[in-house]
Amino acid sequence: MSAWWTVLRKELLDAFRDRRMVIVALVVMPLAVPLILAGMSSVGSKRQEEKREGTLELPVIGAGHASNLVGWLGTNDVRVVAPPADPDSAVRRQEYEVIVRIDARFGEDWRAGRPARVELIFDSSRPLQSGTTIARVRGLLAAYDRQVGTLRLIARGVHPAVAQPLQVADRDVATPESRFDLAQQMLPYLMLLLAFIGGMQLAIDATAGERERQSLEPLLATPVSREAIISGKILATATFTLLSLLVTLVMYRVAFALVPAERMDTSLAVPLDALARLLLVVLPVVLLGATLLTALAAFARSHREAQGYLPLLIFLPMLPTMYLMVAPVKTQAWMLAVPFLGQNQLILRILRNEPISAVEWATNLGAGFVVFAIVWWLAAKLYHREHLAASG
Amino acid sequence: MIEVRGLRKSFAARGAEIRAVDDVSFVARDGEITGLLGPNGAGKTTTLRMLYTLMKPDDGRVLVDGLDPCEQPGEVRRRLGVLPDARGVYKRLTARENIAYFGRLHGIDDAVIESRMASLVAALGMQDFIDRRTEGFSQGQRTKTAIARALVHDPRNVLLDEPTNGLDVMTTRSLRQFLRQLRAEGRCVLFSSHIMQEVAALCDRIVVIARGRVVAQGTPDELRRQTGHQNLEDAFVQVIGSEEGLFA
Repeated sequence: MSAWWTVLRKELLDAFRDRRMVIVALVVMPLAVPLILAGMSSVGSKRQEEKREGTLELPVIGAGHASNLVGWLGTNDVRVVAPPADPDSAVRRQEYEVIVRIDARFGEDWRAGRPARVELIFDSSRPLQSGTTIARVRGLLAAYDRQVGTLRLIARGVHPAVAQPLQVADRDVATPESRFDLAQQMLPYLMLLLAFIGGMQLAIDATAGERERQSLEPLLATPVSREAIISGKILATATFTLLSLLVTLVMYRVAFALVPAERMDTSLAVPLDALARLLLVVLPVVLLGATLLTALAAFARSHREAQGYLPLLIFLPMLPTMYLMVAPVKTQAWMLAVPFLGQNQLILRILRNEPISAVEWATNLGAGFVVFAIVWWLAAKLYHREHLAASG
Repeated sequence: MIEVRGLRKSFAARGAEIRAVDDVSFVARDGEITGLLGPNGAGKTTTLRMLYTLMKPDDGRVLVDGLDPCEQPGEVRRRLGVLPDARGVYKRLTARENIAYFGRLHGIDDAVIESRMASLVAALGMQDFIDRRTEGFSQGQRTKTAIARALVHDPRNVLLDEPTNGLDVMTTRSLRQFLRQLRAEGRCVLFSSHIMQEVAALCDRIVVIARGRVVAQGTPDELRRQTGHQNLEDAFVQVIGSEEGLFA
């Protein structure tokens, strides 16, 4: 029996007897992550639906100047209400998402056949909250504009098509899987974060904790090589993390199965075979995280110090998500080789049900394992330092 | 058998170099108990750490059964049973699991571990707590678990760093009895202590260390002769040059 296997089994036994660690890793995280995502998704799609199709309360300033327009809005699910005293600050305070101001000379211009002025007051800095409503009001005004324009042309004996040199038609190639919403965009980051530092408790306990509890020195006095000891600890951490991830993904599936189907215009559920592929994609990240945490715990002088490095580690898997937010570029081959960025891309593509070629898999996994090997080597070197154990 | 020749080790601490061990030589023979006696900070722990390969000597040589730890660290560790100053046990494992873990790390079969464990449990008197998790163990129970863990692979040479530290009188007595049993089995027993009575009660040979150097060594009788003191206590005080740290 190999020494690393002995170490691995002991660390897992030790970890599974730590009730708090097990509850956090295998119950709390797997419940929290999918519930938050499913909840966000459910509430989000419900709200978007209400904004698109519910009756809209729209304050109109100077409604008396354009009773035709106001009447027409009334027939399109809009309830026109009295405007607030200070419309600009009311919008800024988010009391209303959009306010319409009808110019005092609207009637005069309208009768003279000049373009009559209608002003939209809105705040473009909150596209997530008010974007749908703004687009809806803009769309309604454009429809009214077209309708009246067409009638005017017909009244003058001109074919309406004359004023429409272009006919723009939409053809959206998105599949239901790729049209997923914001909550699902969070999934790659959360998965990478869980994969990366999910084994934190175990790793810190197995190295910094072992030294603090004074059991590292006897361990290093056994004939087992330090490489075998560190490998056993890393693999125990990785196994525990993978288990936590697996439970989380299964719970994620269950949670999205519970969201009422009519709430979703997209297919949110991850198919079963995608689960296996997702775990494969994050495997190098799991190993890398386990190794980095173990190295860090060996480097730190105490439990507390090791935990102090955590914010830095949480930041790492965030980088590609942030990069993709500011520069949502097309996937390029080299990106798949960059840790976190590559995994992020592949997770997205698995969720979008897009094909991934063998070369792409090889690039991503190969690069991931090379980085893991380098960090493992560094960690093993760190483990050979004399004052690792002899600190007393 | 353990031979130490001209061992040296220095540490850099805040720019200054501290000579922890400065030219230490002695021999610990099979079938004898050898005591490393010296005040706190004399270099006993550092010397032992170089013996069990946790630290590399700056200079000098160690031979364990004729083997150099720098050349064959694995084989040397197999021949050594070590109770370090740090004797933490895994608190979520039982004493039995703690001991078996180290047996497996030494590459021993489970059947051999079982029989070896049975004799250690009997010899150390661990029947009452062997299957309890070690969380909440008394100092004595923890030390016994650590000793059993150190000896599960049946080593010829046994190194113990301050084995009776923090133990009550009864446990200390039974531990001394256990060390004599190891000697009777023909093992080489080397232990460090800063307590003179401890060393005097047990040892066949005594190596007195102070400020990183060996200041005297020999059987208790030889030490009395060398110093001209009939009382061992007076003899120790004379060779160390002060009473500091000797009487705990």
